[in-house]
Amino acid sequence: MGFRVLGTGGCLPRRRVTNDELSQFLDTSDEWIRQRTGIAARHVCTTETLDDLATKAASEALRMAGVSPEDLDLVVCSTTSSDHLMPAEASAVSERLGARCPSFDVSAACAGFIFALDAADGWFARGRARYALVIGAERYSRILDWNDRATCVLFGDGAGAVVLGQADEGPLSLRLSTRPEVAALDVPGVTGNSPFYEGPQGPSVLSMKGREVFKFGVTSVVREIRALAKEAGMQPTDITHLVLHQANGRILDSATNALGLDPARVERTIQETGNISSACIPFALDRMVRQGRVHPGDTLAMVGFGAGLSVGSCLLRWDQLSAHVDDPQKPAAAPAD
Amino acid sequence: MATETTFDHICEILRDQDGVSGDLTPETTFEEIGLDSLSIVEAVMACENDYDIEIDPDANPKTVGEFVKIVDDLVAKKD
Repeated sequence: MGFRVLGTGGCLPRRRVTNDELSQFLDTSDEWIRQRTGIAARHVCTTETLDDLATKAASEALRMAGVSPEDLDLVVCSTTSSDHLMPAEASAVSERLGARCPSFDVSAACAGFIFALDAADGWFARGRARYALVIGAERYSRILDWNDRATCVLFGDGAGAVVLGQADEGPLSLRLSTRPEVAALDVPGVTGNSPFYEGPQGPSVLSMKGREVFKFGVTSVVREIRALAKEAGMQPTDITHLVLHQANGRILDSATNALGLDPARVERTIQETGNISSACIPFALDRMVRQGRVHPGDTLAMVGFGAGLSVGSCLLRWDQLSAHVDDPQKPAAAPAD
Repeated sequence: MATETTFDHICEILRDQDGVSGDLTPETTFEEIGLDSLSIVEAVMACENDYDIEIDPDANPKTVGEFVKIVDDLVAKKD
């Protein structure tokens, strides 16, 4: 038993922050950021919580799928910037939705949505789920060092979600890997105020070895697209849509060039969202679906990569969304209410 | 001679980057030809692919000559 996508949803916080705004308090410029990253703006939480964003994305996906929260058998959320260290962000979403099923989080950073998809795939394979909700939701604005111009300009907040239903076949290919290395991309955990701890205590903010991660990103995408295509008996150029992690526009450019692919097949949201970590892939997918650009029979390759250093990739053949859906083109990714 | 060949090839790779043209010498710095850190990573990756070597991610050449030396040393180790 496999799964198919029945519905998608996405959500960004209302506040849009341009590069020019960042240059008011950082030594940077719109030109510098655009040239090196392809980012023009990002959305950042002001009054919204991650619970708000994740629940909104999930509600939209459920509505498109025509599935009720009480019919869900599994809620799994990928996040590394949750509103709660515990319970799981997935529990908070389930409470808001009124779902009554096992709900847990997956922590695999920017590759997390594919890791979460793999967890859900296992539930379908074992016959334990008829419907599953898989979310990628991130609020990186809370874990950035807003004085570090090399990193804080890259990220944003947002959420994306998919509702999955049983299908005869699973993904054409689904691959996970980790090349363990903490220092390349790290956010130390909370320090607390234990009177007994005597070790070093740094702030819980993101640090990154930019060049190493850039290289890891390009080589991972190229390797995974080739491997996904090979496992499915296809050529990379046969893949209809590439929904890749949106870490940097130049990673997308380099990988596209190396693979000899038509850039028009590579989805880009980075100019408006920045890197929203594990929300990138489901958010981009939702936008494509709502714009009517994904058709039955299309093949979709998704590749997430990041801290870990972990990589997840998945090749799907797109099916009809759902019998319940007359028109998937409802308003795209609106701000959280 | 080997150095010359590597130099020529690296110049070719660098000229593939946006906005790089004109004469390149071993003393040419990446800064003066307008290559940012990500462009250098892209050139490093092209070299790794062409020479089947792996360049240390912390290597941070500043000139064309330094870049050529890193590549030549790795190629020599491989042989």
